[in-house]
Parts: sequence; structure tokens; C-alpha cells
Amino acid sequence: MSSYDGKKLGRLHRHLHSHLPSDPELRVKALESLAVEKGLVAQETIDTWIEMYSEKVGPMRGAQVVARSWTDPAFRERLLADAGQAIKEFGYEGHATEHLKAVENTSDTHNLVTCTLCSCYPFALLGMSPLWYRSQAYRARAVREPREVLKEFGVTLPATAQIRVWDSTAELRYLVVPQRPAGTEGWDEDALARLVTRNSMIGTDRDLRVT
Amino acid sequence: MDGPHDLGGKDGFGAIDIDAPPFREDWERRQWALSKNVPSGPNTIDFWRHGIENMDHAAYLTQPYFIKWCLNEIAHRIDQGMFTMDEILTGIPESRTDPPASPLDMEGTLARLRANNVDFRTQMATPPAFSPGDRVRTLNTPVSGHTRLPSYARGHEGTVIAHHGGHLYADAGAQGEHRGEHLYTVEFTAAELWGSDDPDSNCLDLWEPYLVRA
Repeated sequence: MSSYDGKKLGRLHRHLHSHLPSDPELRVKALESLAVEKGLVAQETIDTWIEMYSEKVGPMRGAQVVARSWTDPAFRERLLADAGQAIKEFGYEGHATEHLKAVENTSDTHNLVTCTLCSCYPFALLGMSPLWYRSQAYRARAVREPREVLKEFGVTLPATAQIRVWDSTAELRYLVVPQRPAGTEGWDEDALARLVTRNSMIGTDRDLRVT
Repeated sequence: MDGPHDLGGKDGFGAIDIDAPPFREDWERRQWALSKNVPSGPNTIDFWRHGIENMDHAAYLTQPYFIKWCLNEIAHRIDQGMFTMDEILTGIPESRTDPPASPLDMEGTLARLRANNVDFRTQMATPPAFSPGDRVRTLNTPVSGHTRLPSYARGHEGTVIAHHGGHLYADAGAQGEHRGEHLYTVEFTAAELWGSDDPDSNCLDLWEPYLVRA
């Protein structure tokens, strides 16, 4: 049972930080070895989880969802109404997706997602977040100077376009639906999905390139 | 709490390393997997986050992301009595789980991932105080415990753009209390929050106790 005593957690953190070896690899090893030794988890499960997150869970899932919203108007409606439910049609639900909200870019609006207080992200749909998303620089700056941040990512918006910055402060998570690029009429879902970048689903990319 | 984690709007962090991949080192991948697969006691996600908020502030700003997770996982398991400090520092377990964990195959891990789809909604006995379109003001009171109203959005006026019904209230969750409050998305103009001339806005998901009618 947790103590729910924040100050106690602070004392434990300080003790661990000053007494565990400073090498990060050894710190993680200390946790893994003890958890395995105590029979709480099997090492093979850790290996399989890593394999799953490198091969089966990642931005390709979100890209498939975005592509379907471009090709199937009924699905687009379901996605915009309740994205957490809509992605269950693909079996993509999991960590941090039950209260997913899809927000669409238009020619004069742009959506940008962040989490200033920690690093909330729809993991089961987009995979592990890129390191920059979790960085202090992005978390500090995205809410205050989104246009400067977008410039660093190579995105320039017209001055009249509106940016909505979504700060994931509760258990809602956000998926940006980028605009379908021109010149892709008649393309099928898989071909379209290949155009959708991870950053475009966070909002740090905007105009998708037709390759 | 007013800790270093409350980063929104802070100046001086410099350029964003936009090319950084999700993982650079194997131990980062292993920590991610450990966080999601080592069972924990009855702590809430809110108290988990509050643990990181309470770590040494200099360490918060300088330790690698997944080391913060690693220290937090260990600290919580000591807090819950699953590990002792001696066990983690010596690596020698004083007790074992019987029977030991059996490995999950790919199908098993995929099922575990799907099963982690947690629903935070709650039934509310009281009607919502606000509706979409209402003007609201956020409280301007510092909170020493866990809260999800970032300091940059305190004491500001915005417009309710969505009501999500009852959701487990993070501030209470960090104290072990599973209680819902009405949750809203509130939109603030960039002019209101930052004195900006741009036509931009910030949207935050905020529980009813953070808000009063403007």
C-alpha cells in the first residue's frame, strides 16, 4: 500500500540518488535484477516488450488511423466524436488512449500537442515519444512561443493562421490529424499512411510531402 | 506543487534537439519495459507522478528521463513495502514471490498493452457547474500537493470548450482518494496568457475545483 506521502517519496528519491551507482545502466540493472530475482517479472517478458515496441507499436499505427480518416468519411466522424473508441476498430488501444481526442488541422488552423507537467503521450497509438517531446525545452516553450518552436522544426505558418496548443493536463491524450496532401486523389489507405509522419501527428510537422 | 516539473512558459531552455530519437541507449528501452511490466501496489498514476515531482530538484533538471523513471519506480516500491532499501542497494533479495513470474510471449505482451487501456471516467451525482461557452477563471492559489493546474494558467480567464463528465480527480488521486470531479477543456487566448499579438490559444483539461465563473 502506498503511503501517499509526497515528502516520504522525496526522501527515498534523495537516498537512492546519492547511494546507487551513478552509471544509468547500472541503476536500471539494479531494478531489473531485483525484480527478476524476487520473481516479479521474467527477463524474457522485458525482452519481448522491447521487441513489441520496436516492431509492432509505433507511429505506423497512428498513420493508419489518419489515412483511414481521409478515405472513409464515416470513420472520420467516429474518430472526431470519440477517438479512443474509434482506434479500437484497429485494436490499437492501450496505454493512454482511452480518452483520446483527434484534432484536425485546416488551412487556417494548426494544432500542437505538449505536456508541460510531465510527458503524457498516446503511447499505444504512436509508440514511445521522441526525446524532444519529453525535453524540458519543448515542454517549456511549446505553450508560450509555438511559432518559434514550429520554425525550429521547419514549419512556418501564415500570421493569420491560428495555433491551438493542447497541454495534456488530465487523462485526455491528443492526436493531430494533418491535412491530406494535394495530388493524392485515388490513393489507397496504405499508400496514404506512408506519407503521415510521427511529428505531423504531434503537430511539429504540417505539410506532408508526397513521395 | 511548485516544483521544477511545472515547466510551461519557463524561459532560457534554448533550442530543441529535434533529431533526438525515442531511445538512444538499451537501458532506456529496458526501463520503459520494466515500468510497464513490474507489478506495483495500489498506488495511483497521480501519486506516481507526485513521486517524480518530489525528487531532488537539481536531479530533476539534469538526470536522464528514464533515470527519473527508474528512481521513481524503486522509490514507490520501497514505499509500498515491495522492496527494502537494503535489497536494492545490495541486490540481494530478502524474500521472493512464489511462484516466480512466467514469461509473456508476443501475444501476451500485446494483450497486456491493450489491457492497459484505463478508463478514468466516473459517475457524478452533481450536475456540472459549467457548460461549453461559459467564461471561467482559474484559481490563483499555490497547491503544495499534486495538482494538474500548471502555474502559467493560474488566475486567468478562458472559455469552456468541452465538458467531459466526471473524471478521477488527480489532486485527490495523489492522496489515495478515488474521487471524480467534472472535467472541462478550457481555451485561453495567447493574449490572455502571454500578452501575445498572435491569434493563438492554449487549451488545457481542467477539473471543476480549479475553476470559478468569470
